[in-house]
Amino acid sequence: MAAQANRVGTHKKTFPQWLRSRKGQQAIIIVAFMIIPLALLFTFTYLPFGEMVGYSFMKMKYIGKREFVGWKNYASVFSRKDCFSALKLSLYYMGGSIVQLVLALYLATVLSFKVKGGNIFKGFMFFPYLINGIAIGFIFKFFYTRGFVFDTVLQWCGFELDNLPYWLKDQSINNISLVGTSVWRYFGQNMVLFIGAIMSVDSELYEAAMLDGANRFQQFIYIILPSIKTIVTLNVILSITGSLSAFEPPYVITDGANGTGTYFIVMHQIAHTQQKVGLASAMAVVLLLIIFAATILQKLFFKYVFKNSEDEDFNATKRRDRKLAKQMARKAGR
Amino acid sequence: MDAYLGAITTGDETWLNQKFVHTAEPFKDNGDGTGAYALYKILYDAVAQGLIEEDYTTTDWEGCKGMINNGEIGAMVLGSWAIAQMKAAGENPDDIGYMPFPITVGGQQYTTAGPDYCFGINVNATDDNKAAAMTFVKFMVEESGWCDFEGGYPISKTAPTSFVFDGVNVVTNVTALTGEEDIMNEMNAESELSFNAGGDAKIQAIVEAAATGSQSFEDIMADWTAKWNAAQEELGVEVSY
Repeated sequence: MAAQANRVGTHKKTFPQWLRSRKGQQAIIIVAFMIIPLALLFTFTYLPFGEMVGYSFMKMKYIGKREFVGWKNYASVFSRKDCFSALKLSLYYMGGSIVQLVLALYLATVLSFKVKGGNIFKGFMFFPYLINGIAIGFIFKFFYTRGFVFDTVLQWCGFELDNLPYWLKDQSINNISLVGTSVWRYFGQNMVLFIGAIMSVDSELYEAAMLDGANRFQQFIYIILPSIKTIVTLNVILSITGSLSAFEPPYVITDGANGTGTYFIVMHQIAHTQQKVGLASAMAVVLLLIIFAATILQKLFFKYVFKNSEDEDFNATKRRDRKLAKQMARKAGR
Repeated sequence: MDAYLGAITTGDETWLNQKFVHTAEPFKDNGDGTGAYALYKILYDAVAQGLIEEDYTTTDWEGCKGMINNGEIGAMVLGSWAIAQMKAAGENPDDIGYMPFPITVGGQQYTTAGPDYCFGINVNATDDNKAAAMTFVKFMVEESGWCDFEGGYPISKTAPTSFVFDGVNVVTNVTALTGEEDIMNEMNAESELSFNAGGDAKIQAIVEAAATGSQSFEDIMADWTAKWNAAQEELGVEVSY
């Protein structure tokens, strides 16, 4: 059979023969390895998602009859006061994620070079990411309680208890307290990712820059940042997506009360306490569309911010080749 | 707080499960300190007058038990199951007492009693085992005083109890009329008020509105009435009271 397949001049193979050839064997292995994960992905992600989009057009509870109502749920999402005002809280989380990124970048740059006890610092800063989100919620619930951890530490620094605000009750700052929890949890992970990316920068570039007289900050802006821009872009996209769907800190610490109820919490209450599954599904679909829009905007933004001559646009390359070809043709024709 | 709707606020044991869903204005001010209006107004006033804890976002259950035992907390709104826990939480068990909810309807105070878990005897057990089980249940209900230890209201007239119900009517909210059993459920979901069905968010909203002064109590009740009426219309529930 193998001899048959390798005979010079034989291009047509039957399917069973192709399966036994080297390329066929490779194809079989690839398909066999992928089929189980793909099947799981389809069953547990795409299929339920498709059903949920179907639910969003109906008025239903989890059990019982389902009534088709068309776009009414979507109209409700836009006309209800609580859905979109919950999205405004995401702005707090986005602000927090910018702080988180800046902090992570700064610490990563500092820790990428030889620092005494650098590994211990990295360990301590990464540790919060490993803790379960619910546990962190409980830790911070007691952290922010009046007269407990945070207030006591501030009192050691000299603040009077009466001057300290109520971290979770005061509606002007309780969101900031929750965002602080989120930043504490994730900045270590961001930092470790950035350290990995920064380590891949060629150290000769730093020497060259120092010979040219660049200080540390200029080195950062012109050498480090462009080299790690893929990771930075990825992190920004993930942070924005994460801010729009923030759920754990407000749910565990304040149960979404007192003006901290984010979009996800409103959706959870509508789906599980009020049992309006159709409306909650519509909310989920709207959130997905918002995240798509945000991601596309960010990609375009970064394309223009990080544009430089190193990686040319694919279309620009094609245009240049076409122009050159035309010039060649003209020269040859002359 | 929703647990006190019904006979306690209206003196009528059919109100909660039969009349509530058919009432046009269940939250209106009756002017005499009764009704659902009075029930939630007590909460609103307590918060507005600063009679609750300073930071209501971070109080915890275990800490509260110790606090009421040594007198830092004056009163808590709980069922009778909590009495034993409060007495055990500190050194002053005799300071813990139990009183009915402070609403008087027509000169009478009411309290509602409802069944807890039930004892069952397996019908497929041997006759000997069934007799033994029956004896045990009889002992538990009539002589053991277990019901009293746990702060329950005894089902047997002769069982020992430390509750003294002079001047208080003990009633049970009767169930819904046949054919209307799920109207309450549907109304809860449609209006998003969820009485006795996890509707803690609306109680939290009362506390926040009173603490920050962002909404007056009348506005909150008007809002609830509007939602209730909208749900009645949406579900086609007849409004007869």
